Amino acid sequence: MARSIYNTDIHREKLESVSSDILRNVRINKGFIIWMGILALALAACVFAYTIQLKKGLGVTGLRDATSWGMYIATFVFFVATSLVGMLISSVLGLAGVKWIRPIARIAEIIAVAFAAIAGLVIVSDMGRPDRLPYVFMFGRFQSPILWDVTVVTTYFFVSLMLWFIPLIPDLAIAKTRLNGRPGFLIKAYELLSVNWINHDRQVKIMHQAMRILLILIVPLAFAIHTVTSWLFALTPRAGWDSTIFGPYFISGAFVSGTAAVIIAMYFYRENYRLSRYLTNDHFEKIGRVLALVSIIYIYFNINEFLVPAYKLKTHDAIHLRELLTGHHAMLFWSVQLLGLVIPVILLLIKRMRRPLPLLLISAVVLTASWFKRYIIVVPPQEHPYLPVQNVPIEWMVYKPTVIETAVTFGSLILVLMIITVLSKLFPVLPVWELAEEEASAKGEENKQ
Amino acid sequence: MRKILAILIILQLLSVNMKAQEWVVPDDRKGRLSTFPFDDNTRSSGQKIYNLNCMSCHGTPGKSNYLNLVPPPGDPATDKIQHNSDGEMFYKVQSGRGQMPSFRSVLTSDELWQVVSYIRSFNKSYKQQFRAVISSSAYPGATINMTLALNEPDSTFILTAWADRETGRVPVTDAGVRIFIHRTFGHQAVDEEKITDKTGKAVFKIPLKLNGDSLGNVTVSARFVDEDTFGTASKDTVLAAGIRTYPVSLVKERAMWNKASKAPLWIMLSYILGVLIAWSFIIIVLLKIRDIYITGKYIESAESEKQNN
Repeated sequence: MARSIYNTDIHREKLESVSSDILRNVRINKGFIIWMGILALALAACVFAYTIQLKKGLGVTGLRDATSWGMYIATFVFFVATSLVGMLISSVLGLAGVKWIRPIARIAEIIAVAFAAIAGLVIVSDMGRPDRLPYVFMFGRFQSPILWDVTVVTTYFFVSLMLWFIPLIPDLAIAKTRLNGRPGFLIKAYELLSVNWINHDRQVKIMHQAMRILLILIVPLAFAIHTVTSWLFALTPRAGWDSTIFGPYFISGAFVSGTAAVIIAMYFYRENYRLSRYLTNDHFEKIGRVLALVSIIYIYFNINEFLVPAYKLKTHDAIHLRELLTGHHAMLFWSVQLLGLVIPVILLLIKRMRRPLPLLLISAVVLTASWFKRYIIVVPPQEHPYLPVQNVPIEWMVYKPTVIETAVTFGSLILVLMIITVLSKLFPVLPVWELAEEEASAKGEENKQ
Repeated sequence: MRKILAILIILQLLSVNMKAQEWVVPDDRKGRLSTFPFDDNTRSSGQKIYNLNCMSCHGTPGKSNYLNLVPPPGDPATDKIQHNSDGEMFYKVQSGRGQMPSFRSVLTSDELWQVVSYIRSFNKSYKQQFRAVISSSAYPGATINMTLALNEPDSTFILTAWADRETGRVPVTDAGVRIFIHRTFGHQAVDEEKITDKTGKAVFKIPLKLNGDSLGNVTVSARFVDEDTFGTASKDTVLAAGIRTYPVSLVKERAMWNKASKAPLWIMLSYILGVLIAWSFIIIVLLKIRDIYITGKYIESAESEKQNN
């Protein structure tokens, strides 16, 4: 017989209060329109910059013979890295039975979907001839990490999208009758997307099966996507990229930037959506610990990545490391390592720093440093090619991003924000159904006592 | 001692370069002309040679995409280079200066003229003058020819040079000659420079293990060292002097660097299997969503039927 969460009074009462809290934010209000308008205007400027690049070619960027991967690829790596948090929260912690991630899982998936969706687009912005994108599939070589990368990014995006969508189905069904005053298209979309969900046992069982498949599938996929991204670098013999630990080095770094992004989103929803009842101080305390843990792991990989070649100082590694540690890039390198990793870890060990506001500030610094970290991974190794070049202008060897390039990069970030905005404004950001059940069962236990 | 001398010469050359911005071509070389008329064939051969040897610095003629060096190499299509006479152009490519290398031992005279022919194709006002008769200051008025033959028992090449005058044929004696073997990326010198004897002959030792094609053939090319005295006569001959080789294509076997269809099997299988497994799970999940939809529809209609009854 159909199991319905409307059966008991506790359930009904809880469901009503949870759904009204969470669905209150599902609406197209002035704020949403103004915010999207600002984003759209800014995006238009960035698109204009891109049309210049499209017309005149990549010469309008700072990319040259020696440094042919710059800001774009750094941003691509950063986006892929940040999107990995979906797997960490939902799968690694979720499958381990960690309960407190329930209200965060969907936020993590929103981050994952938005960053993974635009990561592919960033690659296109790095192409001088984007019309040749289909060639990857037409003439792609099985031996090329580029083909693997395109494949896994696409697959990971689809799986993340489903990991966001499937747990949303019961919420859509709950919400579709409670969306009075919202635009008709939204109600219709809810009706369509809720795929006849009536919370029947059989449906719940199917959904659990689907989720279990996805949660297991996303683990190797997430490892694949970021390991392959690291192989784009590590499969070349270039000093600074030629490393056997690049895969785990990238993945551990990904968890740092992803967790920081989730914390920022959590804080935003908690304050703006007035959800402090569900995103409690305790949640921040716990995810603060997660950030400390993943940062410590990342520091460990950093020590390996720099200490091992720095001990041996092979000719080309020495040139690269000197530039990084004491030379041209030293300022950026040490800022990123200290401000983005070491100091945050020290702060996070203090309990008071894991409260929402301090944690938000730490996360903002960590996330910013994460981008610069990718820049440091991508750009400096290209400035010392094995084949020496003489008598060429300095800008051929030393990369300096141009305004157009920066604008296009910002454009990709704006697109990410737009996706996050749409997903978190048109759909519930917290799982209504699960939270209602959780609150109800907690209440039930209290009653028993 | 030799090293010091070489360094001194190089320094001297460099200082000359520094001082003399103008590239002076000896007067007797300025008026030198090609021995064949420039046509589409010479231009296309010239283009191939240009692309291999010159383009990396001078860029594509007419596009001004030459390297930003000091002094700038310049675009061959522009006046800067086109104002040179054919002889000056030939001399400059042959001898080189500063960062521009000498192509004396890389390209034959004919090949140098082919390059000139290609460069001239970017100059619409250019009208070619050429000198069909090979002149020689040692044998005035004579046509000089040479032949190459293989002496298999001695493993030598025998070069014979002669001059045809109206009065008859005489051997070209005391002339320095060199021979080369055509290779994919340039010419391989055979033995050393030799002087023709009284009969106009010079003998060159064939190097050991000289690789030929599948028939053992090699293309041998002979010319005079002092082309001003003896003219630009040259001879290209195919001789079966080499060892038969059967080159195996590098792209024949499956390898990482090969094209997609020649990828190592393990990598093809890993990729295809990985994609198939991941996407079959995705399809299963999509079917599950469909199941949810169908189940909901079925149960709803069943419930409403019940209520109707």
